[in-house]
Amino acid sequence: MIFDDDLLERCISCGFCLPACPTYSLTADESSSPRGRITLMRALETGQLEPDDPTLVEQSSFCLGCRACEPVCPAGVQYGDLLEQWRDHQWQGRNRPVLARLLMAVVARPWLLRLQGLVRRHARTKVRGRTYSLMLGCVERGLYPRVSRAALRLAPGMQAPRAQGCCGALHAHNGSSVQGAEMAEALGKRLPGTIVTTAGGCAAHLSAHLGRDRVKEFSEWLVEMGAWPQGEVRVDGRRARVALQDSCHLRNGMGVTRQPRELIKAVAEYVELPGAGGCCGAAGTYSLLRGADSRKVLAPKLAEIEAARVDFVVVVNPGCLRQLEQGLRRSGSRVKAVHLAELLTWAEE
Amino acid sequence: MGLPAGVVDALKQIVGVDGVRLAPGELAAYARDATPLFHAEPDVVVFPRTTEQVAAVLRLATEHEVPVVPRGAGSNLCAATVPLSGGIVLALTRMTQILEVDGDELLARVQPGVTTARLADAAAARDLLYVPDPGSRTTSTVGGNVATCAGGLRGLKYGVTRNYVLGLEAVLPTGEVIRTGGRLWKDVAGYDLTRLLTGSEGTLAVLTEVTVALLPKPAEVGTGIAYFDSLADACRAVAAIISAGIVPATLEFLDQKCIAAVEDYAQLGLRGDAGALLLFGDDGPIEVVAGNLVRLRKICTEAGALEVTLAEDVARSDALLAARRCSLPALSRLGSLTILEDVTVPRPRLAAMVDQIDEIAARFGLLIATFGHAGDGNLHPTCVLDPEDDEAIDRAHKAFAEIFAAAIRFEGTITGEHGVGAAKLPFLADRLGADQMRLLRRIKTAFDPAGILNPGKVGS
Repeated sequence: MIFDDDLLERCISCGFCLPACPTYSLTADESSSPRGRITLMRALETGQLEPDDPTLVEQSSFCLGCRACEPVCPAGVQYGDLLEQWRDHQWQGRNRPVLARLLMAVVARPWLLRLQGLVRRHARTKVRGRTYSLMLGCVERGLYPRVSRAALRLAPGMQAPRAQGCCGALHAHNGSSVQGAEMAEALGKRLPGTIVTTAGGCAAHLSAHLGRDRVKEFSEWLVEMGAWPQGEVRVDGRRARVALQDSCHLRNGMGVTRQPRELIKAVAEYVELPGAGGCCGAAGTYSLLRGADSRKVLAPKLAEIEAARVDFVVVVNPGCLRQLEQGLRRSGSRVKAVHLAELLTWAEE
Repeated sequence: MGLPAGVVDALKQIVGVDGVRLAPGELAAYARDATPLFHAEPDVVVFPRTTEQVAAVLRLATEHEVPVVPRGAGSNLCAATVPLSGGIVLALTRMTQILEVDGDELLARVQPGVTTARLADAAAARDLLYVPDPGSRTTSTVGGNVATCAGGLRGLKYGVTRNYVLGLEAVLPTGEVIRTGGRLWKDVAGYDLTRLLTGSEGTLAVLTEVTVALLPKPAEVGTGIAYFDSLADACRAVAAIISAGIVPATLEFLDQKCIAAVEDYAQLGLRGDAGALLLFGDDGPIEVVAGNLVRLRKICTEAGALEVTLAEDVARSDALLAARRCSLPALSRLGSLTILEDVTVPRPRLAAMVDQIDEIAARFGLLIATFGHAGDGNLHPTCVLDPEDDEAIDRAHKAFAEIFAAAIRFEGTITGEHGVGAAKLPFLADRLGADQMRLLRRIKTAFDPAGILNPGKVGS
C-alpha cells in the first residue's frame, strides 16, 4: 500500500480545485490538476500504472506542492500529505533529482549547517530561558542571515540557540517523509519552549509534527505577543507602499494570512496584490529543479507587482524571497523584495 | 478500442504536437468527470484553440467514425463527459478568451472554456450581472453550462442558463460551422436552434463561442437565514413566501446533515441543532431589498422558524452563498461515495416530495441528505455511501429509481439542472415517452449522421 486509503478516497473529483492550481492554469490539462494527479495516484495504487510511467514521473515533479488546492476543497482532501506519500514511493534512489539528493545530504548534517555560522553572521544567543526559541532555518541561515538578526532585534526576549539542525521539510517534500518527520522531532528536542520561525515552509512542516501549539510563525507570534512595531517605514519622505506575497505553506497549511498583513499595515501603506495567495514558483527546491516552469509561474506575479506601484514586496519565507529578488532583478524592476522582519526593523518613530 | 491508423498524426497536424495527449496516465486523468461510478478512458485527448481546429477534428472524426466527447472542466454530475466508447476527448479548456463585454448592448461573447466565475467577474467589472450561477461556478466552464443548461441559485427570480443564451457558434460533427441566434432578444427567424443546442450535452454539435445576455448589476444584495425543525417546515415557509407575492432572488435549503457538513468546511457559525435551514436573499434597489428581507423574516417567523437572522453585510452574504454552493463536496466528508440526484417538482409539491424522499431512504436503509433550490422546486437528494459496499450501492440505485418515479408522478422531472448524460439516460423515456424519444433520435441523426458525437448519451 502506497497511500493512506482514507486520504485517497476523500477526493470525489468535483473539480473545485482546478482554478486554484497554478500548474493546471499553465496547461489546462487534467493530468496536471490536483484532481487529475489524485487519479494518477489511484492508478499507481492499483497497479494500473507503474512508478516509472512517464506521466507519473513528470506530474509528481511538475506539482509545486503549494497546497492551494487544500483550502478550496470542500471535501477536505489533504493533498499535501498525498503528495508526500506519492514522492516517497516514486522518488527513491536514482529517481530523486540529483540536486535534491545533494541538498538533502547537506542539510541533514547539523555540523555542516553550524559551519555556515562561521562565515554568515546570523543571529545567535546563549540559551537563557526555556520560553521562545528562534529557529534559524537551513536555507535562510546561509542566504539571508540578516533575517534572523532582524527578528532578534524586534523580539529581544527571544533566544537563538546555536545548536540547531534542519527541520526536515526539504526531505518531506522530496520523497523522504520519514526522515523529514525524524528531523522535525529531533529539532523539537533541541529547541526549548515555543519554536518561532521566520520561514513559512518550516513552520508548516514543524507544526505538522510537533503540534500547532509548539510552533509559531514569526508574524503570528508577534501579533499574539502584542509586539506591534512602532513608527513607519518611509520612502522619499512618504509612507512606503508595501505588498505581501503569502507563503503557500503558511497560508494553505497553517491558515496564517491576517497577521503579516496587520503588521505591514501598522508601519506602511498596505497594497493587496490580486494574486498574493498564489504560488510564486519558488516552492522549495522547485525553482532549482524546474527553473523554466518556476519562471512561468512567477511571470504573472511580477506583472502584478509592477502594476501595483509598490516600493517593497514583503515575503515570509526565504525561498520566496530568493525567487522574487531574482525575478524582480531580472525584469529590471525598482521594487525590492524583503522579509517581513527586515521591513519592520526599518520603521522609524 | 484503438484509433484507425493515421488519425493521431492527422490530429497532431491540426492542433500541434502539444495539443495531443496519448500517454496512459494522461488518458487515465480523463476517464471520469464529477459523476461517481462512471469510468471510461479515451484513446486520445485533443486540445483545440480555434473554431477551425475544432471543425477539422470533427471532420476527421466523422470520416473515420471515431467517437468525440466535448469536455469543459468535467464538473458535471451526470457522466455527460465520460467517453463511454473511447475515441477523442475534445478538451475545450484552452479556448478561454473573453471576446467582448458590451455595456450598451448588455451582452458578452466568450469562448467555451471561460469559467463561469471569470465571465461573472468580467461582467461585474463593468457593473453588469451575468445571471446563471451554478454551484460549481468557480470551476465549470460557460460552454459546459450551456451544454447542460446548468441552473444555479438565481433560478426562481431570473430563470436559468437558457434564458440568457442569445447566440451560439457551433461546429457540426460533419465540420460545418453554424451561428445560431446572435445578439438579439427578439429574433424569430427559423427554428430556435440556440435553445435546441442549449442542454444538448455535446450530442448535436460542439459549442465554440457563446453570446450571453447580461443585466445591469443590482444596487444591493441581501441574504438571511431561517432555521427550522424540519425540511418539511422549511418547505411550508417557501410556500408561504411565494403565496405572499414575493419572488426572492435566492431561496435555498439544506437539511440537518448538509448543515453539519457545510459548517465543518466553511465554519460560518451555522446552527447545528436545527433540522433544516432556509437561505433567502434578494437583490435590486436598496429600499426594495431591505423591505423584502424584513418581509421574508416575518413570513419565516410566522411559519414557525426557530430563529431568523439577516446577514449584516455583503461579505457575509457572499460567504453564506459560497457555503451553499459547496454542499455536495462538503457532504462527502460523511462518506467518500456521494451519489447526488437532481429531481424537480412543482413548488406546491415540494414538502410532499421531501416526505417521499425521507420515506424511501428509511425503507432502503440509506443515508440520504437533501439540499436544493427550494424556490424552483429543484431538490438534490444525495446518498452518502461506502464505496466498497456494492450491496448498498445497489440499494441506492433502486431507491433513486423510486425517487425519480415519484418526481414524475408529482408532474416533476428527473433532472432540473444537471442534465441527462449517461447517468439519467435509462430514465429519460419515463419522462418523455416513446414518441418523443424517437423524435430525439431523428434530430440526433440530422445533426450527426455518423453518430460520433458523445455516443451513449441523449439521442442515442
